[in-house]
Amino acid sequence: MSDRIEGVKKLFTSKSARVETNKGESYYLDLFEKCQTRLSELRASQPANRLDFSGLLNDNGIDRRDFMKWVSATTAMLMLPPMFSPLVAEAAELMNRAPVIWLELQDCAGNSEALLRSDGPKIDEIVLDIISLEYHETLQAASGFQAEKQLDEAIETFKGKFLLFVEGSIPMGMHGQYGTIGASGETFHDHLMRVSKDAAAVIAVGACATFGGIPAAAPNPTGAVGVMDVVKGKPLVNIPACPANPVNMVGVVMHYVLTGTLPELDSLLRPKFAFGYRIHDNCERRAHFDAGEYVEEWGDEGAKNNFCLYKMGCKGPMTFNNCSIVRYNEAVNWPIGVGRGCIGCSEPDFWDKYAYERPMANAKIKAPTGGVEKTVDEFGLGLLTAASIGIGIHAIASAVGGKKDDGGEA
Amino acid sequence: MSSEYKQVKRMTTTGRIIHWANAISMVVAIITGLYIGHPYYQTFIADGAVDKYVMAWNRWGHFIVAIIFDVTSVVIAYLFFFSRFEKAYKKVIPTGKNIAEFIEVVINLATLNKRKKFDSTHSDSFNSVYFLIFHLLLAWMLLTGLQLYVSGLESGLSSIGKWWPWMLHISTDWTRVVCGGTIMDVRIVHHYTMWYIITWVVFHIYYQVWRTIFWKEADIAIVFGGSKFVKEK
Ligand code: HEM
Ligand code: SF4
Repeated sequence: MSDRIEGVKKLFTSKSARVETNKGESYYLDLFEKCQTRLSELRASQPANRLDFSGLLNDNGIDRRDFMKWVSATTAMLMLPPMFSPLVAEAAELMNRAPVIWLELQDCAGNSEALLRSDGPKIDEIVLDIISLEYHETLQAASGFQAEKQLDEAIETFKGKFLLFVEGSIPMGMHGQYGTIGASGETFHDHLMRVSKDAAAVIAVGACATFGGIPAAAPNPTGAVGVMDVVKGKPLVNIPACPANPVNMVGVVMHYVLTGTLPELDSLLRPKFAFGYRIHDNCERRAHFDAGEYVEEWGDEGAKNNFCLYKMGCKGPMTFNNCSIVRYNEAVNWPIGVGRGCIGCSEPDFWDKYAYERPMANAKIKAPTGGVEKTVDEFGLGLLTAASIGIGIHAIASAVGGKKDDGGEA
Repeated sequence: MSSEYKQVKRMTTTGRIIHWANAISMVVAIITGLYIGHPYYQTFIADGAVDKYVMAWNRWGHFIVAIIFDVTSVVIAYLFFFSRFEKAYKKVIPTGKNIAEFIEVVINLATLNKRKKFDSTHSDSFNSVYFLIFHLLLAWMLLTGLQLYVSGLESGLSSIGKWWPWMLHISTDWTRVVCGGTIMDVRIVHHYTMWYIITWVVFHIYYQVWRTIFWKEADIAIVFGGSKFVKEK
């Protein structure tokens, strides 16, 4: 209860969920100047690696035109007016001035997978390639003491300057012993606390690092929690989803490189540019939803005609994310596009509360009275039956033994 | 014979209009709400998706009755305190007198009207409390419903102005936290509360009919004609 009260307080003090897409000319002119100064400072600074962005683009067969298209799209995604495009292009080249440390905790490494995408990297992945990844637990060659030394050095060199990406939940059960790392057997919790202390900002990526994700699903055997539950007093951004979309990771880093600040966040600390809109409101199947045309079972006529997936359990109406707009893998496709419903992976508790692949009204969930899991309607009908039996007994008893009195004996 | 009965005015015209508006709205809200939760009939119309609008009409109907509930709730809340006719709030304050009356009404129901030691001329405190519960359930339905509704107004704009989504966020965002943290919890609770309301309605109808039969004071007539009839003493 006390954390709920805390939550209410937080909601009332946080900015509303409103997405402000136009902040007025003077705001953007100011920001433009700020960004220019910031970028020239960055350019003057020492790059953390020697990777050459345009060279990398060339090697991967991406020409200037493709790059400029990407720049426009990214500028629009960050909700900046077109005049920012040249700055965004410049920032992309300066990405190697942003030192990043990446921690891998209790999860499946899916977010690292998502940003690697070895088969023909697209611009988003290349941008993430050239960020100066000082330390990445899954990708680095070093291990054991050597790896720890490398981490210590990275923290020392970039103290207060590096962005800390965290992937995976933090097991709190058994004093954190469910997950340890390194030769000294440091728990994930201690590891995270130690590294985050010196970070400029912490960016939690994926459902696990943000809200606990699948490890935290009932009965949550390891006591898994998200980064925001343990790291306090640091600028923190959540980029949920399973996996987090590389586009949104780029967006946040880009915003940081460009402006030196983190993007505007919602009450769950998700960047509004990515999580300000509901999937359902930008879904290509929405017309079928409004028309009442639903896929009734996999592979039926409706499915062949791209009908709405609501009755197959689509959770787009309750999920905030931009995958209906930017999609995945450089806009190749996305879950609803391939014909299966959204499972709400960017929302808290998604595994227990969203991912049952049927409409909520049909799902067996925990009833308010506990006991066997049932649907809301089974619970409701049970309640109604109990009430009707009570009423029936009372009615029969009244008919047999009741007193009809038109006087009132008071 | 008829001269022995005294007519007691119990409900104003406004009150009765609100009662029936609520009753009809409730039926509509349940029918459309269940469709929204799980579309239980299919659309057979052969038109393309742009022409038929089955879910949209259901949602429209649901929101129209929501507006009716909204407005009547405000009126009822006002009348609850300031009605010149019968200030209902006076009957739900747990004073010794009210509690005693409440218990007597329960005893009357439990003893199948063999004991009736309270004045059934006026609205008794049991009924007042019972109706208060209904209005709290309805208010809860409004708050959770509006929270679900405002999540579709991300732009912060609406056809009636920016104040509307702004106000809805201010007044309903807390329900999300209270329900369990996610918008899905709000939806689950919205659906459960429907069943609490249906159960409430079933007993409400039974009890009013029961009173009419056993008290013989034509209680059921209150909601039609506005009055009941009690024997002159
Ligand atoms: C008091 C009577 C009401 C009843 C019985 C009722 C019932 C329901 C039910 C059963 C659902 C489906 C939930 C699910 O299983 O997913 C629903 C959805 C909904 N209700 Fe209500 N409701 C009532 C009042 C309201 C009010 C006052 C509002 C205020 C606007 C409201 C707004 C909504 C919304 C927005 C949805 C979700 C629809 C969507 O996302 O398309 N309801 N309602
Ligand atoms: S497929 Fe899902 S997100 Fe798309 S319209 Fe249907 S319910 Fe909404």
